[in-house]
Amino acid sequence: MDNKSIWVGEKDLVQDEAFLESVDKEFTGADLVENSEIVGETNSNRRDFLKFLGFGLGAATVAAGCDIPVKRAIPYVVKPDEIVPGVATYYASSFVSGGDYCPVLVKCREGRPIKIEGNDLSDLTKGGTSARTQASVLNLYDTHRLKNPVKKSSDSFEKISWKQLDEEVSAALASASNIRIVSGTLMSPSSKAAVEEFTNKYPGSRHISYDPVSSAAILEANNMSFGQAVIPDYSFDKAEVIVSFNADFLGTWISPIEYAKDYIKNRKVDANNPKMSKHIQVESHMSMTGSNADDRVLVKPSQLGESIVYLHGKLNGSGSNVSLSDKAKAGLDKAAAELSKNKGKSLVVSGSNNPYEQVLVNHINSLLGNYGSTLSMSNASMQRQGDERNLDALINEMNGGRVDAIILMDVNPAYDASSAAAFAEALGKVKTRVAVSYQYSESAELCEFIAPTHHYLESWGDVEPKKGHYSLVQPTIRPLFDTRQAEVNLLSWAGYDVSDDQAYLNFIKKEWETNMFPSQSNYLSFQAYWDNALKDGVAHNNSPGEELPFQGDVNLALSKVTKASASELEILFYESVNMGNGQFASNPWLQEMPDPVARTTWGNYLAVPVKFDGKKRFKALNNLEDGDLVELTVAGMSYTVPVIKQFGMEQNTVALALGYGREKAGKCGSGIGVNINPCITKAEGFNQYFNTEVSLSKSKGKEKHFSCVQYHHTFGVKAEKNGEVINADEADLAKAYGATGYQGSLVNRSVMFTSTLKALDESLKDKKERRDEYEHLNENTLYPFEEYTEEKYSQGHYWGMHVDLNSCIGCNACIVACMAENNVPVVGKREVSRHHEMSWLRIDRYYFGDAENPNVVYQPMMCQHCDNAPCENVCPVNASNHSSEGLNQMAYNRCVGTRYCANNCPYKVRRFNWLDYTTADIFPANQPTLNGEEIPFGADNLTRMVLNPDVTVRSRGVIEKCSFCVQRIQEGKLASKIEGRKLEDADVRTACQTACPTGAITFGDRNNKKGELSRKFEDPLNFISLEEVNVRSSVNYTMKVVNKEEYLDA
Amino acid sequence: MSTISKVTNHNKYTGMTRISLKDSLLSFLLIFFSFSLMAEPTLDEGKNLFRMNCAQCHAKNMKSKATGPALGGVEERWADYPREDLYSWIRNSQQLVAEGHPRAVEVYNEWNKSVMQNFPNLTDENIESILLYIDDVYVNGAGGAVAGAGGAQVVVQEKQTPDWLYYLLFGFLAILSVTLARIISNLNMISAQKEGRSYQRKTLWQTLTSKGIVTFLLFAAVVLGGYTTVNNAISLGRQEGYAPDQPIKFSHETHAGLNKIDCQYCHDGARRSKHAVIPAANTCMNCHRAIKVGSEYGTAELTKIFASIGYNPNDNTYIENYENYTNEEIREVYSKWIADNYLEANELESLDAEGERTVDEQWTGIVNSLTNDQKERIQGPIEWIRIHNLPDHAYFNHAQHVTVGKLECQECHGAVEEMAVLQQHAPLSMGWCINCHRQTEVQFANNEYYDSYKKYHDELASGDRDKVTVEDIGGLECQKCHY
Repeated sequence: MDNKSIWVGEKDLVQDEAFLESVDKEFTGADLVENSEIVGETNSNRRDFLKFLGFGLGAATVAAGCDIPVKRAIPYVVKPDEIVPGVATYYASSFVSGGDYCPVLVKCREGRPIKIEGNDLSDLTKGGTSARTQASVLNLYDTHRLKNPVKKSSDSFEKISWKQLDEEVSAALASASNIRIVSGTLMSPSSKAAVEEFTNKYPGSRHISYDPVSSAAILEANNMSFGQAVIPDYSFDKAEVIVSFNADFLGTWISPIEYAKDYIKNRKVDANNPKMSKHIQVESHMSMTGSNADDRVLVKPSQLGESIVYLHGKLNGSGSNVSLSDKAKAGLDKAAAELSKNKGKSLVVSGSNNPYEQVLVNHINSLLGNYGSTLSMSNASMQRQGDERNLDALINEMNGGRVDAIILMDVNPAYDASSAAAFAEALGKVKTRVAVSYQYSESAELCEFIAPTHHYLESWGDVEPKKGHYSLVQPTIRPLFDTRQAEVNLLSWAGYDVSDDQAYLNFIKKEWETNMFPSQSNYLSFQAYWDNALKDGVAHNNSPGEELPFQGDVNLALSKVTKASASELEILFYESVNMGNGQFASNPWLQEMPDPVARTTWGNYLAVPVKFDGKKRFKALNNLEDGDLVELTVAGMSYTVPVIKQFGMEQNTVALALGYGREKAGKCGSGIGVNINPCITKAEGFNQYFNTEVSLSKSKGKEKHFSCVQYHHTFGVKAEKNGEVINADEADLAKAYGATGYQGSLVNRSVMFTSTLKALDESLKDKKERRDEYEHLNENTLYPFEEYTEEKYSQGHYWGMHVDLNSCIGCNACIVACMAENNVPVVGKREVSRHHEMSWLRIDRYYFGDAENPNVVYQPMMCQHCDNAPCENVCPVNASNHSSEGLNQMAYNRCVGTRYCANNCPYKVRRFNWLDYTTADIFPANQPTLNGEEIPFGADNLTRMVLNPDVTVRSRGVIEKCSFCVQRIQEGKLASKIEGRKLEDADVRTACQTACPTGAITFGDRNNKKGELSRKFEDPLNFISLEEVNVRSSVNYTMKVVNKEEYLDA
Repeated sequence: MSTISKVTNHNKYTGMTRISLKDSLLSFLLIFFSFSLMAEPTLDEGKNLFRMNCAQCHAKNMKSKATGPALGGVEERWADYPREDLYSWIRNSQQLVAEGHPRAVEVYNEWNKSVMQNFPNLTDENIESILLYIDDVYVNGAGGAVAGAGGAQVVVQEKQTPDWLYYLLFGFLAILSVTLARIISNLNMISAQKEGRSYQRKTLWQTLTSKGIVTFLLFAAVVLGGYTTVNNAISLGRQEGYAPDQPIKFSHETHAGLNKIDCQYCHDGARRSKHAVIPAANTCMNCHRAIKVGSEYGTAELTKIFASIGYNPNDNTYIENYENYTNEEIREVYSKWIADNYLEANELESLDAEGERTVDEQWTGIVNSLTNDQKERIQGPIEWIRIHNLPDHAYFNHAQHVTVGKLECQECHGAVEEMAVLQQHAPLSMGWCINCHRQTEVQFANNEYYDSYKKYHDELASGDRDKVTVEDIGGLECQKCHY
């Protein structure tokens, strides 16, 4: 197969006729007439038209007769010194949610946090963020937050005061002899101190923690191997070879932002010195990390343990007796060979939750001499501390009546524990039940008292994500509601005086003064140390400890590894990048953000493997098609789920994401998808995220609103040969499978260039030839482009963007950042199913290589700001036009909604406001509701607080698209003008650029010859998407390079 | 037809020329007349001199006390002494006090020995003008005789002159066209007679209802209707000249004009933010902790600021726990202040009926100004009426214009320092913005940012270009203001 072939999914690979027809149209997938379910009766006729016309004229007349409304200008009474209205202030803080951690800068306008940026000063993330971090600001303005303390009375909750809550809870605790505090991972030293204060006060109390998605086996394995129950410090940047057994370390596993930043250091390709690390992923389902791997070895979920055993046997020289397929064995042999060649420069990680498998992984790393170089026990990570065995023990205790009082610290075991139902039942036997919770949840509603907590943007706090790395959380807005910091509850019940609203701040300061301050030497006074830590958001007191010798019992481990099942079908449960295990369900930005690989939104879709039938079709399991509803039975529990066909999956394996099917997650998150947590099995007390008792029905109909964006806005174009639609890679694939008549994929258009590392020179030559050819074609014009460019853009600014596809891991942080920055509306599942998603930036996911086990390339696709833009010259009202700085401008108020521009855009990046998504025009029927909300999302003033005041909120009937964050461009230009200096790269950074954890996106001024962008525009790997259509895009992409010998099937 | 239109144009032009000649003559005479009067004391001069010299310390209504005493009736109070004494008192009061002039010493002691500024440059005529103005305001009230005099009449005349001329012109043209129509008709008849055709002259009614006329009228109606609609539609939402009553009768004339406070002292966002910023009440307090009684309205307006922020002018402290005060408690504090000032001003021991009415009125004023449908409590911000409104989709940044463009505030906001009641000076329409961007020169010099415009710099250096306007660097593009 040549390296030109890419495809987005099965439909284009087989040239599905309906799909091809839809590709030809800009606006598809929906009746363009309003669906009666929203608008009611819409069979309008001529008489109705006249009525509307009459009403319209009448309304206009009345409106014209009205006075201009009086607007008020309300100043401060006493203006805070740090606020200048209209100028953003940034505060360093930290996003913390259980074990998720990201140091951030919070952008505030007039005292309102509106955007999260990464904190460059952090050694761990270097300014990177994740989609969850970016979306966290919206949770602050969640309309379903708990607004005051409540107490259960019969079936409902009634409002009480904090004083009453404190009195009643303290009284109940005083009479309790066994108290349990249940929390997630506590990374905060001060939180731990608060818990300790509490447990000191109540001697019968004990604190237990568990994580919604467990990594407890790693803790246990390290306890067995090194005597320390911690997560090691992984350094992916030092590894030349990475073998990951189902660990999604770029997406969800432990500290993905940090790992992504490190990982990508060895993945960027320098064409002059082509060198990159090798990444082999052993997994059953295509995870985000797997999609970035060079080689993927497919095994069934139950075979994962044996595959570790096999690799261990290879490296240990002891051999092994396992039931893996030959293909998998071959892949693992190759991995073993690579690892042996790179001793001390390799890393093996595993997402397995079986401690004995993790012991073997530790042993492998120990054999390879990786401890001390690519991973370390001395700088242990604190990002996972939970152990689900504690929870199961607790259930037993509760059932035995041995717990008098329980405090749930912002955890939701009644949903996310594998034994959720048992927990809920046992909880009923506890006399005093208190939930410290952000909103009503499955668990909180089972409690007597709910103490509502602050959002992290309203809180004080500290974090120790890794030994010696400290980080502070500081409030950026006054608490919006009558809520209280989680830790203050414990202190209050422990008898502290918390009437001072800075009580917890003082507590933290004391903690820092006694513990952190003495262990550093940069500052002489505590005040200086504290002030700097607060300003920077992070503080490093690094003093590495010593490495420990491996002492694990390998033979015991080998005997206790999961035995491969002989089951026909297995199911894998994975943590999705957006939902976690349901903690983020009430966030509509994350619900609408597509899954990186499957590209599904609003719900969990059952991923089923596809198989090439040897002739023409790719058949999925049970002949299922995308969007089919099936009945899935797992260990006797039955679910009806929609299906998505997934390339690169092990046959006879299906996969479903955790974190969906929440019942009590506000209007937005409740009832989305299905809850698969009850199907999690146990091994040695540890959660096993797969199940082997599975059966799958045939298709039982279609999902009503199939909301997968995979086939929306595709811009790959088919080729024709002898009048027949064929594809350029037809011959290749056909040859590979010995088939004829096969029609597939999109190419022969320069959508994408890919290469293997080995064949890079050849690929670059080929690319150059093609680009030269395009250039030749493009030069044949009456309007010489060079002259025009020289005249128009040679001075001032000439904006451009560079996207390094070798750095892009598809994490979607940029998509959410773009939504937050540019007030991009959320449209809901139904609208997504009608191709109406509004996201300005999408990440196209293309497959290439082996059809059944392909490689993946992610292409962030935004407006290309073409200098010869086809959208501009079809606009009848000149709403879309070009600036002297090379920007393709969109004037919303000029747009009359003809949508010609969207039709004419070769990249399909223009979005039309079909309905009043922003609720700016109040006509109820025009406003989409999310998941049956009463008030449309965004219509209330609380949610609107998140809007960026520098960006217009678009109304119904206009086109919108990426503006290259023109508000940031103008802000940066103004800043340098005021200071009377030249504009620098750092002055203008787009929202997607700052969000990216791997630095894949570079924005800048092409006229600044010394700038980073100019340097990157010289990269020989560069190509321009659809260069041959001569639209003169301003965005350069790099060729995707994978480090594999050759494509496996060739 | 073509002949007729030519005649019309010609007539119109000559008519116009005549008007402007006559106008200039008129204004010239008026100006000449006013110059010849300069030597005599005039109200106008008095007003100017008062504003320039006296208004900082003396109330403009001449009736209330400010930093200095109310000036109304000053001549009566000095009536027992020679006029020259009053002159020298104004030029150098301390000298008179030192000399032991009884009236001078009396006033000096009455005002806690505060020293009045010296005005040695005022001539006798100047002082007479001031006294004339003081007396006029004292007797006739503010905005008395002065407003009607002088220039205003010219303006009225300028407006009126063209109107009757237009009517005359219209009548003349109407007669002319009827006459011409008649001539054409006659000529037609003559030619018909010559050719032997029968010619029935049309009646007036037939003429008026003829196809041509009706079509023309319809056409004219459509054009006129369209023109009017478009013009009125364009001005929808425009509020040039908008000058609403504000909750506090704040006068930019007093602050920026008389006292020459820099605009950016209060509007401190203008240099660094998109918003110029309406100053917070604590900015007002920077000065008004000292100046607690206004020159124009006494306690009536300034007390509103105190009530907003919770400042107790009786003992010069900020009230603790003010946010929890009830309206009654607030009323107690500020009624006392208003009453005390009334008593002092009128030299009374206890409140008379007028005094109680004043206290009541001023208190009601405070309540009305600081509360509305949405804001029930007196405490909290002063909700000003916003005058300069841009639509939400237009982005405007003050810093760009003030700091980078170095524009004077007045270029867009007009002579604010002369506005007792602030009004919108410019139309704030897109056309107005664009026009300015076309004409305004970019401040290229001494700003390294603009070094990237190398071509323009070269052209400027070689003399091929005399200036770079905002338009030249893309100032007319959509996304400079709309995003």
